[in-house]
Amino acid sequence: MIRLLAMIGAATLGGFAAVGRIALFMASTLRHLVTQPFYGREFGKALFQIGFLSLPVVGLTALFTGGALALQIYSGGARFSAEAVVPQIVAIGMVRELGPVLVGLMIAARVTSSIAAEIATMKVTEQIDALVTLSTHPMKYLTVPRVLAATLVMPALVGVGDIIGIFGGYIVGTERLGFNAASYLQNTVDFLEQRDIVSSLVKGAVFGFIAALMGCYYGMTAGRGASGVGAATKGAVVAAAVLILAANLILTEAFFSI
Amino acid sequence: MITLSGLHKTFENNAVLRGVDLHIGKGQSLVVIGGSGTGKSVLIKCILGLMTPDAGQIVVDGQNITQNGHAKLLHRFGMLFQGAALFDSLPVWENVCFRMLRSGQSRADLRDVAADKLRRVGLEPDVADKFPAELSGGMQKRVGLARAIAADPEIIFFDEPTTGLDPIMAGVINDLIREITTEMGATAITITHDMSSVHAIADQVAMLHDGVVQWHGNVAALAQTDDAHVRQFITGSATGPIPTLR
Repeated sequence: MIRLLAMIGAATLGGFAAVGRIALFMASTLRHLVTQPFYGREFGKALFQIGFLSLPVVGLTALFTGGALALQIYSGGARFSAEAVVPQIVAIGMVRELGPVLVGLMIAARVTSSIAAEIATMKVTEQIDALVTLSTHPMKYLTVPRVLAATLVMPALVGVGDIIGIFGGYIVGTERLGFNAASYLQNTVDFLEQRDIVSSLVKGAVFGFIAALMGCYYGMTAGRGASGVGAATKGAVVAAAVLILAANLILTEAFFSI
Repeated sequence: MITLSGLHKTFENNAVLRGVDLHIGKGQSLVVIGGSGTGKSVLIKCILGLMTPDAGQIVVDGQNITQNGHAKLLHRFGMLFQGAALFDSLPVWENVCFRMLRSGQSRADLRDVAADKLRRVGLEPDVADKFPAELSGGMQKRVGLARAIAADPEIIFFDEPTTGLDPIMAGVINDLIREITTEMGATAITITHDMSSVHAIADQVAMLHDGVVQWHGNVAALAQTDDAHVRQFITGSATGPIPTLR
């Protein structure tokens, strides 16, 4: 019994310690973000890698999800004669929730894993030590450009995801469920509020920050060897996904609390 | 030039350095030898500021840099890492001139500088546009050497410069290190297990054992010493005071 309690206590303390380390890492990132030097070329590369190269996966995810959502709402709505609300619910569902969350999770899978694996490999192969000996701070060179790029580009990705998701619902709605194309679009536009769009973009920025920060944190703190790289990558993706979902709840409460 | 006094470093319960005292004069080439796990790399990392010693002092040119102050001196240091530690995402020439890329010099000029440095380590200029993954281990080591000397540092560190290389390439790297450090008048600290490197590179040799300097002297005195630890190390004998199970 005492052993069980000791294990629970150790796990709890370990959890708090991990939260503390991540908080300190975040504070260090923010401090380096506002001090010179700024590595513009690295920032540009990160923008391209995180933003442009993520467009296909974001687009496909949103397209399929929007289409499936339209089918689900139609079929569910039919139970209480509410099939007509498909355009409105697809729009609100994609913009408020599914767009930012799915894009966030796809970025966690694609970008967080890639950042963590790259930085962890750099650590294992002494490239991070080499940066220090070449008078370059690893936080400024590796973390700041990636975190800033992800934070700035994610709202755009979420915006694209929202639009493509709504388009997926439109295709299914008009081609499969028999909605009139013009009235589908009109209902979508009429129903969305500015607050929906703002919340979507803010969520995108927060999720981008979390995704890149977790990739950098787990990469920088990776253990030795191939298993260290693997553990860092896995830990980064899991942490990013969980934190994105938790942040989504908090932001939803903040934007839409009744 | 570099004086280490009573340097201690412990990892959890493992006391790696237990009071290292060493002095390296300006322009000298010191080779640190010792078995695996005796703290040779930790010693270099403490001097470079990659690790902070638990106790003791590191003084470079009269400046105590034990706890901080490395940042001001890093531009005077060059370092060749064991695995070269080239940046995978950058072409060879950007690796070589990495430090100078932030100096405001034009990229075209720096590419020419890189080509010169690559030529100095025996590589053709067309290597400049390749990526590290496209190079053999020996070529990567040479690029790492070119990067270490690119900014004409006063103090150069070499961590196992011949590990993983065939004997011929190891000889080439040893000769390059000797030539370049002599030509630049740089102070060099090399850590190695390779006795051919010791004879090719060293003016002075220090042997680390049990976290302290077991023996320190001129390279010519190495063969004559009757220190049992040194004898065992240079003959590679399995029997002697150094345990084989570590």
